[in-house]
Amino acid sequence: MAARSKDKHTVLLLTVGLLSWLVPGAGYYVLKEKKRAIIVFVTIVLTFCTGLYIGSIAVVNPQTSKLAYVAQIMNSPMVRFLGNSTVHGGYKVYGKPNEVGQIYTSISGLLNLLCIVNAVYLAHLRRTETAGD
Amino acid sequence: MELISAFVIATFTTPENVGVNPQSILWLLPLAGAIAVVYKATKVPKIKAVSFLKESLLLFGSIVVFMLVTALVLFALTWLITQ
Repeated sequence: MAARSKDKHTVLLLTVGLLSWLVPGAGYYVLKEKKRAIIVFVTIVLTFCTGLYIGSIAVVNPQTSKLAYVAQIMNSPMVRFLGNSTVHGGYKVYGKPNEVGQIYTSISGLLNLLCIVNAVYLAHLRRTETAGD
Repeated sequence: MELISAFVIATFTTPENVGVNPQSILWLLPLAGAIAVVYKATKVPKIKAVSFLKESLLLFGSIVVFMLVTALVLFALTWLITQ
């Protein structure tokens, strides 16, 4: 019985983590934290889009800027499609727009990573609190 | 409709003109705002509009002030070295 409950808990944590990665803020939404979910979604998507607006989709480049790409992919796995479009579409960006765009998109990815970890921790805490009651 | 779609796609496939000038530092402001909002969204136990805005603004202000202080220190250091 306890093992089954533990399995369920692990599945919940994984679901929250994966959902948070798929759509920023979705993990909070599952945990019925709607305000938090909306704030996180709007802010992260806006920051990411601002980065793309400044530097174009060429700032997401898995070949020439691998380190930034690791941070950018934390926004959502869908960023991979942008990376493919950049590589195959031959989009290019240099200089300051590239710098600013990469900083914006990378920071939004890292902020989403913070939210993923926080949502998973929140899900874990709730179970612990329920068990303690 | 097609024209609007083409315009939207074009804005994301061509980079903006960001000059290498002191004004380009202002690009840090929206980013600092985003960092403050998301960080506070993960930290506050209950989200209430007024207190959340107040806390986010406070953090945003702290980030900007810290950046200004850092810039001033670096500027003073550069001035001392080059004099």
